[in-house]
Amino acid sequence: MHILVIEDDQEMASFVQRVLSEAGHTVDTVHDGESGLNMARSMPVDLLIVDRMLPKKSGVDLVREFRDSGGNAPALFLSALGDVDHRVEGLQAGGDDYLTKPFAPSELAARVEALGRRGGSEAPITTLKVGDLEMNLLARTVTRGEEAIDLQPREFRLLEFLMRNAGQVVTRTMLLEKVWDYHFDPQTNVIDVHISRLRSKIDKEFDRPLLHTVRGAGYRLQA
Amino acid sequence: MKLPLPPFMRTTTFRLAVVHALMFLFFTFGLLVYLFYSTAGYMRSESVRELDGEVQALAAAFNAGGMDRLNQSVIERSSVPGPFFYVLQDPTGQSVSGDFATIPDDLPDRGSRETNFSYQTLNRNGELETRSANGIIIRLPNQASLLVAYDLGTRTQIVNRITRTVWTALPIGLAMSLIGGLIISRSAARRAEQLTRTTDGVMSGDLSSRAPVVGSGDEFDRLSERMNAMLDRLEQLMLTTRHAGDAIAHDLRSPLTRLRNRLEADLRDGEKVNRAESIERTIEEVDAVLATFNAILSLSRVQAGNAARFQDIEVSELLSELAELYEPAAEEAGLEFSSEIEPGLLIEGDKSLIAQAVTNLLDNAIKYTPEGGAMTLRARKTRSDEVELSVTDTGPGIPEADRERAVRRFVRLEASRTQPGNGLGLAMVDAIARLHQGRFDLSEGPGTPPNIGLRAALTLPTEV
Repeated sequence: MHILVIEDDQEMASFVQRVLSEAGHTVDTVHDGESGLNMARSMPVDLLIVDRMLPKKSGVDLVREFRDSGGNAPALFLSALGDVDHRVEGLQAGGDDYLTKPFAPSELAARVEALGRRGGSEAPITTLKVGDLEMNLLARTVTRGEEAIDLQPREFRLLEFLMRNAGQVVTRTMLLEKVWDYHFDPQTNVIDVHISRLRSKIDKEFDRPLLHTVRGAGYRLQA
Repeated sequence: MKLPLPPFMRTTTFRLAVVHALMFLFFTFGLLVYLFYSTAGYMRSESVRELDGEVQALAAAFNAGGMDRLNQSVIERSSVPGPFFYVLQDPTGQSVSGDFATIPDDLPDRGSRETNFSYQTLNRNGELETRSANGIIIRLPNQASLLVAYDLGTRTQIVNRITRTVWTALPIGLAMSLIGGLIISRSAARRAEQLTRTTDGVMSGDLSSRAPVVGSGDEFDRLSERMNAMLDRLEQLMLTTRHAGDAIAHDLRSPLTRLRNRLEADLRDGEKVNRAESIERTIEEVDAVLATFNAILSLSRVQAGNAARFQDIEVSELLSELAELYEPAAEEAGLEFSSEIEPGLLIEGDKSLIAQAVTNLLDNAIKYTPEGGAMTLRARKTRSDEVELSVTDTGPGIPEADRERAVRRFVRLEASRTQPGNGLGLAMVDAIARLHQGRFDLSEGPGTPPNIGLRAALTLPTEV
């Protein structure tokens, strides 16, 4: 993916650049809002990473103007302000995700992957498939091999999210945000327990596990 | 040149006092003028009536017995002491009888005319005195003339006395109302001065300075009370801020110091240290510091009250979701988890913050309740129509004496020192409750000693 990073803090910018380059992306960085907007408009970009507070033009204004001029590459906000109202403001301006500083490199990489994937096919998907695990989104059924797997509604949503991001790392924070819609960090390992329950349903009686724990980062569903 | 007025003269009360004094003057003057005219008028009409009576009587005498009888009547009446004077003159103008030698005015050709004149007489002290009189002169049919007059002395005296009274009373009244005004405005000025001194004290940094309340319950007392309440709140906020500053310094400095010392030791030990492990630990510790820092910021924003996005929240639904999120973790920790959530509960509030408050309570319950215990999440409507969200557990609980302290910023009770946490969880719940104009209470849980358990309840009004 070609990613444009607009961040005035040089160190943060080079940190982001390094993380994403290591993940195999092409990264350009600019350090103020105006040149960021000009660049985003003048060259093909797959993803914008925008700091919320930028010199010359705020990140929120930048994304809003980018959207107004027809730009549709997904945008990820970076911000030191993690409050819900800031998040909502960012998303209303046309941002697609919001990451509060400081963040782990794995968190950034995981979210960038998830955003990059989303830009793909526009056709509505009715089935998801990972290895021999299949999910029918219309009938809301899950099967692995020949066997039907019975899931609670929340487990279904959890698995759906994992399957849509199959092959990629998803972090606990991402799961909490996207599956439960909570934007704070619980001090207990609530997500881990849900994952282990899901795992016992989809993996336990099968030889090849699909749901992997990525140490220090999160989880990955992979055939 | 404009003279600088003394402070009390510049007060509103003084101006009001002056206005009142002038109004007093005006009304008193009007009242006295009215009194004067009505009294004088009454006395005038009374004397006119009496004069008429005399004239009638004398006319009757003349009609009955002519000049002789009239003369006799005049002689009789003149000899009686009283306010009336009589003079009878024959047609040639010679005085026949009466009090004076002549009639002191022109005579009418016929009929009668009114007359005012003055005369001199000896008063009781033997001094010569000029007095005025009012009377009527009648030309009798035989061309003789008769004067009947009434001495105005008494009337004049009364009128004079009234006039004197008016002129004496007015300045006294004016002076008294001015003095009253001055006294009142002086005391008002003094009270205002006290308020000014209090604010000056506060501005110069003495937050403990308070405006005096004298207990009269007047507007100054009320103002002082409000001002003192405001100062109390300010002082409390200042203390909280100062305390938070100390706490931040403490809570952030100790881990940072620890980190710094370890890094230095690792650097000194050089090759012996596993570099990756050292860096990993460093990141972990820095993350913890950042998390504490973020928690402090969020707490401050909630306490300042400007972070909230209020909307209608279906609490029952929200709590059911949280129960579903936490149940597995509770069971994993060896706790029996149950929830009793009344359906259809609604409140007005910030959904994310309410969720955070309940999450903090659930986290605490899982963290502190020993294996084999139980925890319950409840939501119900209270009798006073509020919504109560509570988490009970069978952990060690919090001793009654410590409960109030436990909800303060950064307070970590002895028992919890060994557990991870930043001491902001309950303070955050408390701040969220206050933001929603509700309250947060800790009480004994359903456990059995030594694990008496804890009941943490968030009581929220349905509308803010």
